[in-house]
Amino acid sequence: MSSANQELMITAEETDILQEIMNIAFGRAASDLAEHIDIFVILSVPYIKLLRLSDLPPYINSEIKEYKKVTLVEQNFWGKFKGSAFLVFPADSGKNILSLLDGSDEYFESDRINELEKEAVREVGNILIGACIGKIAELLGDFITYSPPRVAVERSQCGIISDSLVADDNLAIVLRTVFEFNDKNICGYLFIVTSEESFAWLKTALHNFLDQYE
Amino acid sequence: MIKKILIVDDSPISIRIIKCCIPKDRDFEFFDAADGRIGVEMFKQIKPDLTFMDLTMPVMNGFEALQEIIQFDSRAMVVIATADVQSKAIERAHELGAFSVVKKPPTRENIAAAISGVESALAKRR
Repeated sequence: MSSANQELMITAEETDILQEIMNIAFGRAASDLAEHIDIFVILSVPYIKLLRLSDLPPYINSEIKEYKKVTLVEQNFWGKFKGSAFLVFPADSGKNILSLLDGSDEYFESDRINELEKEAVREVGNILIGACIGKIAELLGDFITYSPPRVAVERSQCGIISDSLVADDNLAIVLRTVFEFNDKNICGYLFIVTSEESFAWLKTALHNFLDQYE
Repeated sequence: MIKKILIVDDSPISIRIIKCCIPKDRDFEFFDAADGRIGVEMFKQIKPDLTFMDLTMPVMNGFEALQEIIQFDSRAMVVIATADVQSKAIERAHELGAFSVVKKPPTRENIAAAISGVESALAKRR
């Protein structure tokens, strides 16, 4: 998509506002997670991109290309701000994420590691995605409901995005941030994909957000 | 008295919001920088009375920039304006010499209180 076409859908100023809102929201999500578990999350500058939904899988694959297999949490959300969030870790992060939650670094063969890892990833995903989307919605004056988180472990990159999401050729705004959990050598990506039907509301809400300061 | 205010933030919107929150009844001179590296250079050049500093920035983050500024001028008045509201991030900023921390999104009240706090501290130094 050319930058001129992109500008028609979301202006540079709207992108800046959304980037700042994402920054605030993910900062709050990191703080919420740090209240649950004793970690420090290193934040990075969020990035906003306008894409056709059919281009979403190759875009996400290119972003996480250094991960051979991934573990992901997917959660859909509904409000005026509507879409899907994907929290993606390298597949071998599961044990490290589990040790974040239970404080242990050693597991016995008899432990149901895969199930425990899955639950740990689900919990971290639920907190990060919920806090981040919740804060975006709060700042933009919306109320959101969520689907239960779906967890997939040890997946190859292909097919991590469900076919139903990319079935049409509508546009989507993709918000991406990269984060690291200090001390635990875990890093991951959060992608938030908001569908074209939210665009009109989102543009108005972004301007309303800025107007309160003018 | 504060005259020069430097705002270091990679987000033009955030700079705009902070400026909007600064009381209008005073005649401040504003400068801004888009990352920590530029912020440090600008600090050395203009020697602001007050610096608002973001933490999450490209090129040089706010922790590193704060450290360099305090090394250059141990009496620098740096107020961190950040979305990183983790208690460990706030503790670290204080350890590195930040005067105070304002959570984003800022409010007019928070920014006015930060400015007033800096002015009181500057007055006590005299």
